[in-house]
Amino acid sequence: MTAFNPEDRGRHKKLILTWSITFLVLFPLLIVLGLLMRMNQGEVIKVDNATFYSYMTLHGLGMAGVLFSMAWAAVFYLVGTRYVKLNIGLGYAVFLLVVIGSVGLAVATLIGKFAAGWYMLYPLPFIGATWKAWTTGLAIISLIIMGVAWLIGCLHVVYALSREYGGFTNLIGWQYLGKKPPEKELPPLALIATISLVPGILAFIAGAAMLVMYLLQHLEPSLSFDALVQKNLMFFFGHTLVNITMYCGVGWLYTLLPEFTGREWKLNKLTVYAWNATFFFIVFAYFHHLYMDFVQPTGLQIAGQLASYFSAIPATAVTMFGVIAQLYRSKVKWGVIPTAFLLGVAGWAIGGFAAVVDSTISINKVLHNTLWVPAHFHTYMLMGVVLLILAFLYYLGSTEKNRDLSPKAGFGFWLFVAGAYGFLLMFYLGGMESIPRRFSEYASSGIAHTHDTGALLAKVAALFVALVLIGLLMMYGALFNGLLKKDQAPAK
Amino acid sequence: MYCTSMLLTIQHSAALISLIGALVVVGVVLFLFTTSDQGDEKHEAKKMVYALRGKYFLGLAAVIVVGLVITLGMLPYPKFQTEAPDQTIVVVGSQWSWKMGPGELPAEPKKFKGKSTITLPPGKTIQFLVTASDVTHNFAIYNEQGVLLAQTQAMPGYWNDLRYTFAQGGTFKVLCLEYCGAPHTVMTGKIVVEQ
Ligand code: HEM
Ligand SMILES: [Cu+2]
Repeated sequence: MTAFNPEDRGRHKKLILTWSITFLVLFPLLIVLGLLMRMNQGEVIKVDNATFYSYMTLHGLGMAGVLFSMAWAAVFYLVGTRYVKLNIGLGYAVFLLVVIGSVGLAVATLIGKFAAGWYMLYPLPFIGATWKAWTTGLAIISLIIMGVAWLIGCLHVVYALSREYGGFTNLIGWQYLGKKPPEKELPPLALIATISLVPGILAFIAGAAMLVMYLLQHLEPSLSFDALVQKNLMFFFGHTLVNITMYCGVGWLYTLLPEFTGREWKLNKLTVYAWNATFFFIVFAYFHHLYMDFVQPTGLQIAGQLASYFSAIPATAVTMFGVIAQLYRSKVKWGVIPTAFLLGVAGWAIGGFAAVVDSTISINKVLHNTLWVPAHFHTYMLMGVVLLILAFLYYLGSTEKNRDLSPKAGFGFWLFVAGAYGFLLMFYLGGMESIPRRFSEYASSGIAHTHDTGALLAKVAALFVALVLIGLLMMYGALFNGLLKKDQAPAK
Repeated sequence: MYCTSMLLTIQHSAALISLIGALVVVGVVLFLFTTSDQGDEKHEAKKMVYALRGKYFLGLAAVIVVGLVITLGMLPYPKFQTEAPDQTIVVVGSQWSWKMGPGELPAEPKKFKGKSTITLPPGKTIQFLVTASDVTHNFAIYNEQGVLLAQTQAMPGYWNDLRYTFAQGGTFKVLCLEYCGAPHTVMTGKIVVEQ
């Protein structure tokens, strides 16, 4: 086991604080963009279409980027303070590049009105754009910078872990599959981080290749590429990024929850099989984004549904059963940290189930690109990943003696959760009522039901979003207090 | 007046199933909250949970297999359609309007002459051959009650083959369900179904 000196701990703590505070500042700002979108759809305010879609683009890219970055940073911190020595300078380099990319995206969207959506569906950025050409270039370059930063960050963590645990096959737990017990125990976080970050590495390489093609066409407009291939690459990149953000959160759930329940949570044959299978589900599930491309080979469509369905087995039978086994009759004190962990897993389950329903091709044909889609992915991002991140941040701001933190956080926390589920319910009802997603307003649909119901649900959703924001800000006192406390020994 | 023949739309069934799933999750969460203070002196709680897992696994596997068998039998793709189409309609999406009409597949979709409103007969299997002349759009058919009935992508360089049979007469709306630039929401069309 690598020896850690306290100085390293302190430097790690500074780095993770830098990430955490950046996250806590950006997250509510991105929610405000979501609020403005809901208010416009609800006809409470009126912004022009170009502005609406620039908000949508920044909100989508910003949220996905900020959450993945925060999740990666949390893994980096826990791995670096517990299991292996990591290069802190590299951690700052990733931070710097991500900040540069984010500023680029903010300028492209807020100033230049770049509005191609998070997925810049090829060839939309190049044809009939309402935004200036330079914003397309800036957005592409910004994304390349972020992608490269994440690629470096993931490679470093996986490489360092693999050296510590005797090679890659050990890192994915194969030494547990033999007859004799492994010589050196593999912490669950090391396995889960690897299973998440390796698909991430593949996705960032695919994403970078695709973005370079975008850049080439931007510089040389006579070039053109195949729209279906580009779409496959884009969704492999985007789906994987969001998917592994969730799994990184699950990684620190395995690590931190046992500290509250006093029960061990270790790897065994079954968990190793489950997580190895998860690797394939992460890589192949993205095909469910292309179901309505009837020309996509049918084998891939079916692979998409199979991967999506079967991913439920390891997720529920191993991880969720694990959580239940951790908590059932455990006498845990329901402070904000274990509560956020449990609700975070619940949000993952609820959103995941609605996603599996949507991943059914014969159902997707009437839910695809309706509000059902933002309904389920907002559930496991907002009530899944974000709660796991909040649990981590509260943990970071606590010491061994005061783990079950601040009762003051209580009301804000529950307001946040209640507001979020209200907001989500309006998305689900919208999907159920066939309301299209990515509609800046519903009047031009020319269908009375779509307009009336769509606008009403959006208006109610906006009220719930206000509760989300209030609840979040109410938590900030306790969060910042904990994170910024000077004299405290860094959390282990 | 068009009336849906189904009691429950696919959308409503999906929502109902998801609601049941969500309630199960809420039930588990409440159970864990309320039982956590019981304590576990004999260290049996963990074992009890894991003892259930085998049964759960078999149950879930069965549900998944049944789910796959049922749903994979109803794929919307053309090679899974048994009936030959009665009529073919070419659809070209362009920023920001739909052109629809009978005819041969045009070599250049941009030059296809079609209308944003067409009339079709009820009870006939229509083959919509769908593409786009610029960016990707999505051809989606809504009924008067705002229920999404069928859709396929309109992607430049590809022809997607969507089959749909209008059971009864009525006025149907075509919306674009793929974001295609700022005026995306105004990209609508109309299908009048009558004898
Ligand atoms: C309370 C918090 C949030 C609010 C109010 C909010 C609101 C919205 C709204 C109104 C839309 C547009 C929906 C439509 O298609 O009509 C949207 C899209 C989106 N949101 Fe959120 N959101 C929130 C949290 C999140 C989180 C945590 C994520 C994390 C990944 C996220 C990622 C996205 C993405 C990727 C899109 C799609 C953008 C696109 O279509 O290009 N949002 N959100
Ligand atoms: Cu369109």
